[in-house]
Amino acid sequence: MSLFGAFNISASGIDAAQTWINTTAGNIANVNDVSPVSGDAYQAQTPVYSPTVSLPDGGGSGVAVTGIDLGDSAGIVESDPTSPLANSQGLVRVPDVSMGEQLVDLVQAQNDYQANTAALERAKTAYQSALTLGE
Amino acid sequence: MDQILSVLQFALDGLSQQQQVVANNLANTDTPGFTAQQVNFESSLQQALDSPDGGQASVTVTDSPNAPGSNGNNVDTGQQLVAADQTTLQYQTMVEMLNAQYRLIQGAAGGSFS
Repeated sequence: MSLFGAFNISASGIDAAQTWINTTAGNIANVNDVSPVSGDAYQAQTPVYSPTVSLPDGGGSGVAVTGIDLGDSAGIVESDPTSPLANSQGLVRVPDVSMGEQLVDLVQAQNDYQANTAALERAKTAYQSALTLGE
Repeated sequence: MDQILSVLQFALDGLSQQQQVVANNLANTDTPGFTAQQVNFESSLQQALDSPDGGQASVTVTDSPNAPGSNGNNVDTGQQLVAADQTTLQYQTMVEMLNAQYRLIQGAAGGSFS
């Protein structure tokens, strides 16, 4: 058990939530990307979380983003003859990113962020009170 | 007097560990397959206090019995946020009581009681 251990644990949770917010932002920014049928579509990014254990007593020490899952590069083939990237049949490749799913993810990531800040705040209050011992 | 101090210190340690476990549960609200943990030290402490020859209290960490969701994660965010609040309030109470004990000792040792 480290001194002020809860701080680092909550910080790892905040970092993880921030990564998720960033990936959803990137996914939403690229939702209208267009690529030629011969190329790859934009692949939606999703962080992969795993719990971390490093305390000597085997207790949990937070969460880590161990990788980024990429969506399907096949995307969706759409007809858009006006696009300069369209092939001879007027087809282009667009990313298979669901705007609804991304927005739900964003809300959830935001809630995670807030929950971790709340825990951090409580831990801070408790540790501050410990500093008054003997006063 | 000695016993009160050690009981309060033990409770502070238990609560500090609980704070970390709650923080860890909240950090892992979206980790697939994660099982929430919970800390118990109160029952062990009660047992140690009840035993006539003075028992040894210990802090135990167990898995939460909550049912896992579709991704195998069983962290209940609301429950954990309440636990975070409760732990902090309990922690502050223990600190208050420790300070009160110290004031008594200080007074008994010839200092002022305030």
